Parts: sequence; C-alpha cells; structure tokens
Amino acid sequence: MKTTVLLSHARHPVSDRPQLSRLEAQAIALAAEVDEAPSGLHAGRNETGVVAALGHGLTALDRLDLADTTDPLSALAAFLTRQRFDLILAGRRGEGGHETGLLPYRLAAILGLPILADAVAITPGAAVETLVVDQAMAKGARRRVTIRLPAIVTVHPLAPPPRPFAYGPMRRGTIRRHPVDGSANAADLDTAEERPHRLRPKLMRQSAGQAAGANLYVDPTPEEAARLILAYLEANGIRRYGPLNDR
Amino acid sequence: MSRPRRDPRAERQSHDVGATGSRPRYDRSQPLPGRAGVPPIVAPARSGMTTQPQPAKPELRIVDEPAFLVFAVVEAPGGRLSRFDRQVLGAARLLADAGDGGAGVVAIASHSVEGLGEAGADRVLLFTAEAMPGTVAKALRQTVDALSPRHVLFAETGDSADLARRLAIALDEPLLANVEHLTSRQAVRAIRNGRAEIAATPPRLISLGEDRIKPYEAAPCEARALALDTAPHNDDPAILSVEFIPGDPASLALSETDFVVSAGNGVSDFAAFRDLATHLRATPGASRVVCDAGLMPRAAQVGASGTVLSADCYFALGISGAPQHLQGIAGCEHVIAVNTDLHAAMIERAGLAIVQDAQLVMPALLQLLRGGER
Repeated sequence: MKTTVLLSHARHPVSDRPQLSRLEAQAIALAAEVDEAPSGLHAGRNETGVVAALGHGLTALDRLDLADTTDPLSALAAFLTRQRFDLILAGRRGEGGHETGLLPYRLAAILGLPILADAVAITPGAAVETLVVDQAMAKGARRRVTIRLPAIVTVHPLAPPPRPFAYGPMRRGTIRRHPVDGSANAADLDTAEERPHRLRPKLMRQSAGQAAGANLYVDPTPEEAARLILAYLEANGIRRYGPLNDR
Repeated sequence: MSRPRRDPRAERQSHDVGATGSRPRYDRSQPLPGRAGVPPIVAPARSGMTTQPQPAKPELRIVDEPAFLVFAVVEAPGGRLSRFDRQVLGAARLLADAGDGGAGVVAIASHSVEGLGEAGADRVLLFTAEAMPGTVAKALRQTVDALSPRHVLFAETGDSADLARRLAIALDEPLLANVEHLTSRQAVRAIRNGRAEIAATPPRLISLGEDRIKPYEAAPCEARALALDTAPHNDDPAILSVEFIPGDPASLALSETDFVVSAGNGVSDFAAFRDLATHLRATPGASRVVCDAGLMPRAAQVGASGTVLSADCYFALGISGAPQHLQGIAGCEHVIAVNTDLHAAMIERAGLAIVQDAQLVMPALLQLLRGGER
C-alpha cells in the first residue's frame, strides 16, 4: 500500500523553532502499520522541522520547492496526481499556515478521492484495495468504516503516540526535492488582515447552577442515599439504569 | 455552605400578639414557627427551598416570521445537549439577535434531542438517519440552498467539524474555522501556531472553538419542528461498510470518559468499588492517597498530578477534596459526594452532597442497581 503523510511547517509554541507536528508524527505511526516504507510530502523551502519525520518512521520525504506565502494546493494536487498514492494521511489541521483544516478536503475534491476524518486506527481490509478505519467519536465510541482505496484519511489526537525519534534513520532517509513550475501557483495566501495574536480567556467550567450545599443530606440511611444518587444521575441525564425497585 | 440568615424584625413580628393600644405587646414564650428545636441543617434541605418565592415560569419566546435564519449544527451524543452544543446554540442566538433581531435559530441534529428550546433554538430540523458526514453534508447543502441561512455554525470537534469542511467545499465558500472570539460584528481566529490572528465580519460558515461563547440563558424558545423533504441515505460508493462501536467505560481513559466514580480514603472494600463502577457504567478513578497506597493503579489518579477530567459527572466516594484534587474536577458539571465529614471541601463543591459512610452506601447502591436490572 503506497502511503504518504502530508507534513505542515509547524513551530514550537514556546521557542518558535520549526518542528514536526505531533499529530503528523502520530499519522506516521499509523502509516507505518499499513506500509513498510511510508513517505512524507511537504510543500515549503524550510526543511529543518520536517526532517524529524524521517527519524519517526518515514523512509523518504518529498519536498516541493515552494515559497511559504504561496497556496500549495495546486502544486500538491499535481504532485499527488502524478504519484498515485493509495493512502494519503494528514492531521486534522495543518499547523503554521492558516490552519483551516480545509486542505485535505480540497485535495479530495480535486483528486476525486473519498475522505474520512478523525482516524485513531487503520488496518488493511479483508478485500484488496480496501482499508478499515476506526474513527473517534464522542464519549469513547468508535465508528469502524471500511473504505475503498485510494483515499484521504485525517488523524485524531487520540491515535496511538508517535514512534520514538531515532537519529540514524533520520540521517539515512532520502529527501527528494521537486522544483515547482512558477506559473502553476499564482494564488498567494491573503496576509492582509493579519495582526498579532491576543490570548483570550476561555469560559470557566463550573458546576451547573446550584448554590453550594443546596442539595445536602445529613445522615440519611444508606438505602435512602443510594436512591438519591441514582435519582440525581437519571434526572441530569448522566446514565439511565432502567426501572428501579421501590421508587 | 450558607446558613439561612436570621430576620430579627420578622421574628419579633411573629411574636406580636396584636394588642390594641399604643404599646406593642409580644409573647416571647411561643416558639418561632418553623425554627423551633430544628438543628441548623435540616435533612432533606430541599424542603427549605419551598419557602423561597418560586420564580414565575418564563414566557415562551416565539418567532413566527424570522427575518433571516441562522443554522446551528448540534451533535448531542445520546440525545442530550453537551456543553459545546449549548455554546454553538448560544453563538447562533447571538448572531440571530444582533441588530434588529427577529431572526430564527434552526438547530440541526441527526436524532431527537431534549432541551433544544431552552438552549435557544426556534426551529428544529432532524436528519433522522444516522448517516455518514458525507451524506449529511449533501442533505445539508440542499437545505442551505432551500432556506438560505445567513450563518451556519458548527462545533470544531468530531463529525461536526468534518461536516463544516464538506459543506465549505460543496458550497465553495470560505470557512472561518476554530473561532476564538465572536460578536455580531467580527469573528477572530488564531493562525500560524497561535502567533497571529485574523478578524473578519462573521462569514456564512463558522466553526467555533470550545469554551469560547456563552450558552443562551434567557427565555426558552419554542423549538418548532421543521419538515424535511430530503432524508440522507448512505450512497457513497467508496464506503463499503459502517459499524458503530459504543465506548466501554471500564476500558476508557479518564480524560476521555464522561462519568467517573472515584474512591478515596473512605473506601476500604475495593472489590465492591470496582463492582459498583461496572454496574454504574462509569470509569473508576481514585484520589492520590489511594494510588500512593497501591490500591488503585496510578493511571486512575484524578487531580493536578494525575488526570484533569473533562467528564460531565464525577461521583466521589470517601474523598474530602484536597485543592489539588478539586483542580482535577474543575471541569465537571455534576459532582456527587459521599463523605462522613460535613465540612469537607468536596461536600461544598458537590451538586448532591451526602454525609454518610461510603462503605455503607456502596452496598446499598449495588443492591439497588442489581435489583433494577432484573
């Protein structure tokens, strides 16, 4: 199964150095389960951050020589059309750019591929040219989807952790640099309305309403206490336990 | 814990014997109505609430002819609105009430959901089938074309985020993803690893970050059901089979689960505790003391040095509530505490506080749950 992982130019939140995004490192770990020699794909001039991907399990890295301000969509689509990968993995949102998370969907539309989001596990399907993808859902549920290849799959943060970094494989891995035809990518990213980021506080998570101790019961019998607890759980819709005795 | 405050004037008034004449006469030998011989904390304390004036039932807010529509896509796992769903509806209400107001909020769900009216939805549109996001996006696109809403709001999580992107591609419109700050005039989102941000007037497609917008809290709306002419079907040729696997609370990580039952120093019978967790369908957790003693695995520790929970409900058995432990449950909406100490911090934090020995309450709960399952 010929697999590639899309790599963005993430930066470390504190030091601002280029680094490999954790989610993409997790995607590499997933890719290594279905392909013994997965490759990576990065569009940009700076490769200091993404070479770490070779140390996390990629055997080769394709780099499209593209300015950081250029929209990489058409160049990526042209490259992926030429290479005919069976499986294209990506994070939910690439880091370092506009971070809309739309790029895999745009690629899917251009290449005519199906796309699945939020994968936590992938295994080859029983039939050839199929893939079984476990999607993460709310409350620990999973959706197991069998999909026909080729396909694009994005990875959820609950996927298995990245493989440990190894220096030797990073040095041995091949980096293939591909020049990009300048006329093909006229569309520049819009940077006009950018301004420095301002941290905004999130809403406080607090208990629902009741004043502290409004629902206080001192020394009820254990049976009474058990009934109160189950009634509270059912009234607030946490769990439903069916009909209970002497209620 | 606040004690009901004394009202000396009303107390004296209640002793007044109502004698005619210029001098007031009081009979102090009679006990005060409702206070005589009553210990300071009454069980159950809920009966004390009835003396307070009942708030009048708020009027239903009805929008008959909405000036424009705002769609809010809610996920509502298990038919119950999550915090995030309420925030999305709150944001939709904010955009609908901007300017002259008079707009309608349409909640879009894939199954019937309780409490949409209270959360701010004027209309409800149900895609009754549990479909894949790709097919829901097709049906949603038809609905957007038919009703032409001014905004469509999504939560930046799970299927909702997936749907937002599919709809953005189908409509060929920009999506303002993971919005951090939203008013009727501008929406702001972070870019470039949180180094920069972009502000724009709220576009048509917006997906919201979690804990950014307040939920709606004013008068309930009517949540009238809208008829839908297109039901989605799974007709994507690339998808061969779909299987739904429900989460098993016993094997879930503490950070992922929605209901945690936790043991502290007041619990000594851990076999019964694990049995109770299984019967409650909750994920077992523990306090630091219990993990230090080796009675529960370290992975089960709740608190600042263990796991910080994002669960909806936390059930603390025999936990007094050290500050580091309370930090770990700061995000829990519902807390139940069983503890022998009336003055424990956990009792004060809890929405349902029971002063009783956890070792006695556990077998009673187990008996009730086993009886109910028959």
